[in-house]
Formats: sequence, structure tokens, C-alpha cells
Amino acid sequence: MLNKITGHEVDRRLLLKGAAAGGLGIAGATMLAGCAPAASGPMSFGARTVDESPTQQLEALVAAYTVKSGNEVAYNATESNAFQNNLSQYLQGTPDDCFQWMAGYRMQFFAEQGLLEDVSDVWDDIGSQYSDSYKIASTGLDGKQYFVPQSWYPWGLHFRKSMMEEIGLAATDVYNWDDMLGALAELKGQGLIGLAAADKGGWEAMGTFDILNARINGYQFHVDLLAGREKWTDSRVKEVFRHWEMLLPYQNTNVLDLEWDGAMQLLLQKQSGFFMMGSWFGGNFKEQSQEDYDDLMIIPFPEINADHGRDTVDAPLDGFCVAANGGNTGVGKDFIKFAGDMEGVQAMLDTGVPMTSANNGQDKSSYDAFQVAQQAVMDEAKYITQFLDRDTRPDFAGPIIGPAFQSWFKDPSSTNDILESLQSQWDALAPL
Amino acid sequence: MSVTEGKFENKAERKLSKEQERLKKVKDAQKVKDRIISVFIGFFAIAWLFPIVWTFYSSLRPYKEIRAGGVLSFPKVLNFDNYTSAISRMELPTYFFNTALITLPAVFLILLLGSLMAFVVTRYSFRANVALLLLFTAGNLLPPQLVFIPVFKMYLALGDLVGDRRFLYDSPLGVILIHVAFQMGFATFVLSSYMKTIPKEISESALVDGASVFTHFFRVMLPLLRPPLASLGVLMTTWIYNDFFWALVLMSTDSKRPITSALGRLTGEFVTDYNLLAAGAMIAALPTMVVFFVLRKQFVSGLTLGATKG
Repeated sequence: MLNKITGHEVDRRLLLKGAAAGGLGIAGATMLAGCAPAASGPMSFGARTVDESPTQQLEALVAAYTVKSGNEVAYNATESNAFQNNLSQYLQGTPDDCFQWMAGYRMQFFAEQGLLEDVSDVWDDIGSQYSDSYKIASTGLDGKQYFVPQSWYPWGLHFRKSMMEEIGLAATDVYNWDDMLGALAELKGQGLIGLAAADKGGWEAMGTFDILNARINGYQFHVDLLAGREKWTDSRVKEVFRHWEMLLPYQNTNVLDLEWDGAMQLLLQKQSGFFMMGSWFGGNFKEQSQEDYDDLMIIPFPEINADHGRDTVDAPLDGFCVAANGGNTGVGKDFIKFAGDMEGVQAMLDTGVPMTSANNGQDKSSYDAFQVAQQAVMDEAKYITQFLDRDTRPDFAGPIIGPAFQSWFKDPSSTNDILESLQSQWDALAPL
Repeated sequence: MSVTEGKFENKAERKLSKEQERLKKVKDAQKVKDRIISVFIGFFAIAWLFPIVWTFYSSLRPYKEIRAGGVLSFPKVLNFDNYTSAISRMELPTYFFNTALITLPAVFLILLLGSLMAFVVTRYSFRANVALLLLFTAGNLLPPQLVFIPVFKMYLALGDLVGDRRFLYDSPLGVILIHVAFQMGFATFVLSSYMKTIPKEISESALVDGASVFTHFFRVMLPLLRPPLASLGVLMTTWIYNDFFWALVLMSTDSKRPITSALGRLTGEFVTDYNLLAAGAMIAALPTMVVFFVLRKQFVSGLTLGATKG
């Protein structure tokens, strides 16, 4: 596979030299290529990962598509942060025909600028395989679909079954805020950390904020706040931080020194009872040992305000988009259809890398206990949010909210100042 | 220290005449000064070396150990495992080839065009030559972050004009050209400073012998420019080799980018193994270090070239 790709690049380089020598000839050739019938011919796929397991999945998908359609696919992988930071130029320049991306605001932002191809007709074909909440997350502000989901994972409270048994805590029965504080106090009484927390990376704590806000103030307020329709200085936001402060005594004290994996270690080594995180980290437990993975369990974050119950969950949706400026959009759409169809999903599942697919066709009887629990967390929720840094402006989430939360951990009594500064920084952002 | 010096002076008082005593004092003062300077230099040498030494040390330790015991824990395992896995994950041959494909033509073009430019502004006097020199040097002052969006749009527009969007954007050619544009100012400045030190008589005799402009440049001036060209070549090679920014914003296909961006392949979306990254950084830095140690004379003279004569 790789050899094939390298070969392809060399060809392109030769082509470029030719282009430098005489642009006109190339112009003619490109025009001829443009006349090729849609949905056949070579295309390129852009992966936003160089990690081992997802690469295995995506390469299996690409290989299965090549076998089925006969279209050659060049696989271009870019490290996720570099890909994300450069996406705007990437899409305006010479993007791959189909690329891996995220649902929600992050997708809508680029769809609004006309950089993504409308894939509504693909949804006409494969839409029946997905539930409505996924279609909503794939829809742009103009009501058309620009995204096909691949997989999801929920955010929730993770714990180790064996550890809770030893302590005698019925963790699955933790339903509301009082239950949670009770369980945390119990853990603290045993000399353990109640809730493992990290925020060195600046994003880890965002999940806790999301869920507290959604539980206390509801889905609509949360979404409106992140979209700038509500103010950060609102007393309802202060309420969120008041609740958050109640959790601090049960957390590890080195929150700002740990990245997410440091906090995960606390759970892995049974030093901490609970861990609020996205379920994707289960893969790291599996790397440790199958036994550790089987011991892992997730429950929804407890209810705080009975009006909202446990109706919202942060469940980032990863998937694919077709770039409007791609060289072969027709094949790109054909590919995305295959990726969304059960046939393509099956190709990814067959690699054995654990994945909770968004496709209804995935055989859920093959789910392991942890995946069943993830599904239960999803099923209980009526509203799905995409995680803070995907639900608001990228130039607000990372550079502004991240450091604000970090400074809150340093001095929780400065809530008011921090919220005021957040609001004034939002107001100062350049219009998009 | 002061005690030993005191003894010294006592002995000196007895034996030496006043004039000799004065000289001795000056000498001693110089010694103290030298020592202070040595300590000062030593301190900075350590401060400069520390990051490299620490990176190397980190690269020898497995990430698991760091996660378990922290960065400052006593090392139990020291080996080159990180290097082997970094080499396999970075796809070194591809990325080193990409770097060479960008660096070599860029350096060649910079030196060629820079020396031509310097030749004209120093050897021919016409009204605009100082202004021209200033213009070229001023280009150096523009931060690349300021101009990359216009450059990006221009590359796309030019690509559309030719009929292939990848004519300049997402192509080594585009990155080469932008490096040439940015570094030529500095090259011109350095080379023209050096050229001013070459006696005008050489040029005059060449002209008297009937040399054309090109003969004058290629046969007379260029051979004389060998030392500054060597220094500049070394400097430019390391600068362009170390560039990450232009390749990132002007290329969209990762497999065409130079070695500096291959380091990104070692970071994961959620987990980054910093020890592995340290090994990768050492590998990526190795060629520049080799170049520096082999050619450090040219390096230093390159940095001060024309500094006193301009």
C-alpha cells in the first residue's frame, strides 16, 4: 500500500517538473482529466491521524473501497493537530477529495464558507441506516448535510468495577448529585482520591464544565452560551462553578500538573474512584491488559437539576467530509457513501479495533460490556453535544477558555473575575 | 582566592621595585578578569548545552518509566529503543529526501542570485544602487507570519492561471521560491559588504583587459567570493533545513513536507510520548549538528562577515 502511494507521489513530482517547464501542456492534460465520467478514476483520502489503531481502520476502509470500485485511492495521513490548524488553507488549496473531520460546529463553520461539498444525496441513500440525532449533527446551518459519521464515544464517569466492589460502593446506583457527593466522601474517607482530574492540556476540564452546565442549566442554555447567545457573566454560569467547587476537595491536588493520561493512571492504579473522561481512553486500558479493560465501567454524570434530568451527553462524533475544491469530487462522494454504508463500516470493524459505529447496522450483540454501558449512556440522553472545543469558535475554545479554566483551578475564588474576562474576550473576537 | 592573592602581593612588595609592582598588579587584575569571564562563559555554555543534553538523556528513557515515576526519577532503563521506533515511525528516507529537494536548490539559487545582486550594487554605481540594496535588506524585516496568507492566495491564483493548482502550492517549487525570496536579502547584504573589501583595482584591470560584465562576474569576482559563499551556504542550509513554518502553510500533502514536520508524526492525538519525540528531535537535528561541527569555522566567519567592514 505504502509503496503504491510513494510511487504516486514521485509521479506527481515529475508532473510538477513538467508543469514548471511548460504550463500549457499540463493545463490541457488537466482539462482532459476533468472530462472523465464522475465516480471513477483516482482519488485521494486525507486522514487526520497517524496513530496506529485508527490508521489500521482507515486503511482497511480504503482497501475495501478500492476492491469494490476499482478506483485507486491515495492515502494521505497528517498528524491531527497539524491537520486541524492548517485546515482552512488545506480546504482552500488542494484538499484531498474526502477527508476525516468532526461533526457539529466545526463542520458547519467550513460548510458556511462553501468549502465542503453538499452530500444530501448520499444521505438519501444511506440515511435509513442512521438515527436522527446523527443526521442533525451532520447538517449544516442551511439544512443540507455535509458530513457522514464514522464513530462516537460518550463522556461520562468511569470507574473500576473490582475497586468499587472492594470498597462496597454501588457505583452504578449513583444517580444524582447527592449520591455522587456521598460516594466521593466515602472514597475520601478511605484515603482515596474521589475524582481523578487533569487540566494541563487545557481541554480536559472542558468536559466537566460541559456536563455541569448541561445538568444545571439544560442543553439549550449550554448551546446558546457556547454560540454567544448567552453571557458568561450570567448567574447561571456562576452556579456551574459553585457546583464545580464542591468537587474540588475530592480531586487530586495536582490537576494542573497532569495531562489526561496522568489522571487515567490514577484510575488504572486504583488510586482514584471516578474519572470523568471520554470513553476513547478504554483503548489505553486494553493496551495495558484485557483484564483492566474488562474491569472498566461508565455511568452518566449524575442529575443535578430534576428539570433536565440526565438528558444531555457530550458525545463527539468523528466522520468524513467531501472537500468542494477536491480534484475528483464525484469519486469523493462515492467514497463517503461507501464509508457510511454498512459495507464500509464492516470493513473497519473487521480490523478488530474497538469502535462504536454510528451506523445502526453494527451488530450490537458483539459489543463487550464496556461498549454496552457506553450505548446505555447514549440512549439515556435526548441531546448530544460535541464537546466544548467543537461546539464553539475554535479561536475561543483553545486560546481563551482553556487558560481561563486553568487559572480558575489556581484560584477558585476568582470565578467572577474569570467569567467577566471570558465575556469581554468573547466580545473582542473579530467577527467570522 | 583573595587570600592567595594577598600572599602573592606581600612577596612581591619585598622583591620588586615600584614599577614592576605596578605591572604585576595589572597582570593580576587581568587574571581575575579572565577568571570571571571564564566562569561567565562556562555558565552560558552549560545553559546553552543543557537543553540538548537533556533531550538526549530523555530520548534514552522509556516513556513508561516517566509516567510511573516522573521526569526527575532515577533512570532504571537507558537504551536506544526510542530511536529505533522513531526511525520506523518517521519514514525518514521520504522526509530527508523532501528536505534535500527543497534545501539544495534553494541554497544554490540564493547564493547565485544574491551574489549577482551584490555584484551589481557594489561594482556599478548608478543612482538607485543604495536604494536597491536597502530594498533587498528590508525584505528581511518582514515577519513571515504577516505575509503567508497573501503568499498562499497568490500561489493558488498563479496555479489557477497555469491550470494546475499544485504548480506552486503544495509543491517543493513553491517552498523553494519563498525561501529564495526571503533569504536573498541577507545574502545580498553579506556578499555586498564583503565585495566592498575587494580592491576596486582588480575590477578596473579586468575592465581594461576588455572583460564583459559576465566575464567580470564569473571569472574575476566569483572566485574571490569563495569564503563568504561557503559561510553563507552553511548558514542558509541550516536555516532552511530547520524551517517548519513555510512547509506547513504552503503544502497540504504531509508526505511532501520536509523532515521537520515528520516530527509531528511522533505525536498522537491524545497521547504524546515525549521520550520518543526527544529521540526524533535528536535524529532530525543530527545533520545540522554534523554540518556545524565540520564547518564551524565557516559558520562563525559567516556570522561576523562584513560586520566590521560594511
